[in-house]
Amino acid sequence: MKAETKQLYDYILNKEHHKFRKEIELEFDKNMSPIERMIYRFEEICKAETPVILKGEEIAFIRTIKNIPDIFTEQEWEEIKEKHYIHELGYMSNLSPNYERVIANGLLKERENADEYGIRVIDAILDLVKRYKEEAERQGRYDVAGILEKIPAYGAVTFREALQSFRIIHYSLWLEGNYHNTIGRFDKYIYPYLKADLENGRITEDEAYDLLVDFFLSFNKDSDTYVGVQQGDNGQSMVLGGIDENGQEVFNLVSKMCLKASEELKMIDPKINLRVCKNTPLEVYELGSRLTKAGLGFPQYSNDDVVIEGLKKLGYTEQDARDYVVAACWEFIIPKVGADVANIGALSFPRVIDRVMHRDLKACTSFEKFTDCIKTEIKKSCDEICDNIKELWFVPSPFMNICMDCDIYDGGKYNNFGIHGSGVATAADSLEVIKKYVFEEQSVTADELIEAVDSDFEKHSELLPKFRFETPKMGNDIDEVDELAVKLLDWFADGLEGKKNCRGGIYRAGTGTAMYYLWHANEIGASPDGRRKGEPFGTNFSASLFAKINGPFSVIKSFTKPHFERAINGGPLTLEFHNSMFLDNDCVLKVAMLVKTFIGMGGHQLQLNAVNMEAMKDAQIHPENHRQLVVRIWGWSAYFVELDKEYQDHVMKRQEYVV
Amino acid sequence: MTGTIFDIKEFSLHDGPGARTTVFLKGCPLRCRWCHNPEGLKREEQLMVKTARCKSCGRCFMPCEHPECQLFKRCIHACPEGLVEISGKKIEAKELAGILMRNADILNFNNGGITISGGEPLMQWEFVEELIESLDCHTAIETSGYAEKDIFKRIIDKVDYILMDIKLADREEHKKYTGVYNDRILENFEYLKSSGKEYIIRTPLIPGITDTEDNLKQIGEIVGDNPWEKLKYNKMAGLKYPMLGMEYMIK
Repeated sequence: MKAETKQLYDYILNKEHHKFRKEIELEFDKNMSPIERMIYRFEEICKAETPVILKGEEIAFIRTIKNIPDIFTEQEWEEIKEKHYIHELGYMSNLSPNYERVIANGLLKERENADEYGIRVIDAILDLVKRYKEEAERQGRYDVAGILEKIPAYGAVTFREALQSFRIIHYSLWLEGNYHNTIGRFDKYIYPYLKADLENGRITEDEAYDLLVDFFLSFNKDSDTYVGVQQGDNGQSMVLGGIDENGQEVFNLVSKMCLKASEELKMIDPKINLRVCKNTPLEVYELGSRLTKAGLGFPQYSNDDVVIEGLKKLGYTEQDARDYVVAACWEFIIPKVGADVANIGALSFPRVIDRVMHRDLKACTSFEKFTDCIKTEIKKSCDEICDNIKELWFVPSPFMNICMDCDIYDGGKYNNFGIHGSGVATAADSLEVIKKYVFEEQSVTADELIEAVDSDFEKHSELLPKFRFETPKMGNDIDEVDELAVKLLDWFADGLEGKKNCRGGIYRAGTGTAMYYLWHANEIGASPDGRRKGEPFGTNFSASLFAKINGPFSVIKSFTKPHFERAINGGPLTLEFHNSMFLDNDCVLKVAMLVKTFIGMGGHQLQLNAVNMEAMKDAQIHPENHRQLVVRIWGWSAYFVELDKEYQDHVMKRQEYVV
Repeated sequence: MTGTIFDIKEFSLHDGPGARTTVFLKGCPLRCRWCHNPEGLKREEQLMVKTARCKSCGRCFMPCEHPECQLFKRCIHACPEGLVEISGKKIEAKELAGILMRNADILNFNNGGITISGGEPLMQWEFVEELIESLDCHTAIETSGYAEKDIFKRIIDKVDYILMDIKLADREEHKKYTGVYNDRILENFEYLKSSGKEYIIRTPLIPGITDTEDNLKQIGEIVGDNPWEKLKYNKMAGLKYPMLGMEYMIK
């Protein structure tokens, strides 16, 4: 990166821009409708924002109002929740807006089609832009002022204008209170601007790259104010590559530059997702692996061959399915027209096993009878989860609505709900224990098993090492146990099939866990696989944390067996390598080929991490020395030292059994 | 033919071309002071206890009836943390080949194969020979080169790729730090050069022992223009010694 950008990079890293931040207090008239409150808040925050243009910064706009006051009091929320199901913070999140259209049209054109609320939002943005322009002029930054003169009021023409326009749109979405505002297929919609600039000689490739680096920094300026469950869980996921609506490869110069910029910056945002398929050239995988080597926990890979087919089976049109992106973590969503709530609930597989074991195991005369009960219980659990979601209500977000191609409140083209499935491996391993010892060998009775589990293996303690270490585990390519996982996922898909949700959509089964690998694990005690009370499940679609695993080949084989076309909500297999494995380019190439192997074998999604255990250990003791250490949590990357200890510990625990 | 192995590692990246599976054979005639696989030294099965996370619950000391535990007077099936293991497993060459070939599709797709390492695999050359003959993929061997000439020749002729160490050029130094003279190794290297096989010579860089200017210069002369790789010393190398009740000589 060039010297000016490096200065800006250090400035942001040292959080020097935080000095411009202040808080705002707002009061809302009880008689104002929710949408009026939203507009009022947006206008007031825009007014309160102080234009700041940092030295050397080419893509402007930075948050100076750090808080977004809630439009409802706690009591008002209580009243709303009495009548409605509220998802998370109440906003429709995890959407992929149509930046392409808004950047191309400009806000004045969007204003022509907007309703009164949309008009007020756009006017507030344009007023803030005007003040930014004046500040730029005051500082003698005529480059910035010149651009703000044109965009976002009018459509962008140049690459820089398009980047600046994106920044303002994205910034405004956050300012409106929306969160997990994904970036979508950035290379696809931005490349035409770069191409035109290059063809007209307006910019060189090097200059374009420098701009892109500056632009990437913008994702890291305010992201600490976009907190999800933990710092870093902010949904700024960018999707690169893959096929377009017509089946043509998208991967282009912008995709390459993004991978390079991310590798160079080593910052947690934007989070890169790479869409690939079995025909994707090895070179793309190689570029991806080089980024993996940087240790940021991305790119995350998704397999077009599997995902598109899966989405089509769920009823998405071929064109829309081909345009899929990922939500904040890994849920597959459709940009522009999709109003899916891809993370509305979660099924805990181990909890199902736990319930059925306690209730039915003694009465079951065969393993098949037992698994019939499991199947029934999964269906029942699906019904419970789904029936609970009624009268879903969202806080209205007029600007987000402008940026989508559908009315997200009345319903988008797609209004499906995604349900995660946590602890698949823990559950499959538990079933294997029950099958092997209770039914086949009959060496352990149902009572003994239940006693052992209920006492956290204080009773029948000899069973713990046997179940934990000496019984086949998912992840070692052992059909006997892997097939149990395949069945669990099939039953999950069966359980949701045909159900309609309260917005007229369907339900989608998935392999993600989000934070449920901790939450669900704490809901139950020990489990029959030898997992002790309080021990977490694996993250997303991964082997149990203590399973002794043969290695990546076996893991890939085990985890590509399920019928993903039926469980395509998203949730990756996680493979973690010690960073010393990425010694040289030869190793990077070998890792790239392994990823290609996974895709060729029909895996749906892969999360590949280069992990530095020694650095993590030291960072717990001397956090001040490791401010830049990045780790992958469940669907996003974070600075290790900014995480709560339980999340730090889980990342480290994933490594414990790897020597 | 039965052999003794102590590990199988999938996706090994530094043991030959492409992505590979490496099988480690137990037993070695050398005693390199820096050896990072001490469980590969003795041919016999050994008790290996990962002490770092041991909570001293004492369960492994309780008498048990498992035949495999009797020799060690420790139960390997009792540890709630899975820390007590026997390093070394007897296995038929054909059975091992079957296990390794399960991933043949992946190995072939990744232009890789199977690498036979150790210990010193040539100590179990008959087993190695049968194993190679039963493998239907690219094969490599990782050897110290310390073996009888005929045996060396016989196995080298059967594999596709050879990774051979030349650790120290000086005869006496070699004896001092590895326990054996390097005459056989250098003699076998002559054969290797003439074999027409693809190979690479490797030198582990042990601070103050093998990484001296003098040693590297001399090895350079021996190797000539042939492929030669210098391997960085792994600071974690001493990790496994306490697990075997052994002391690591390098400080």
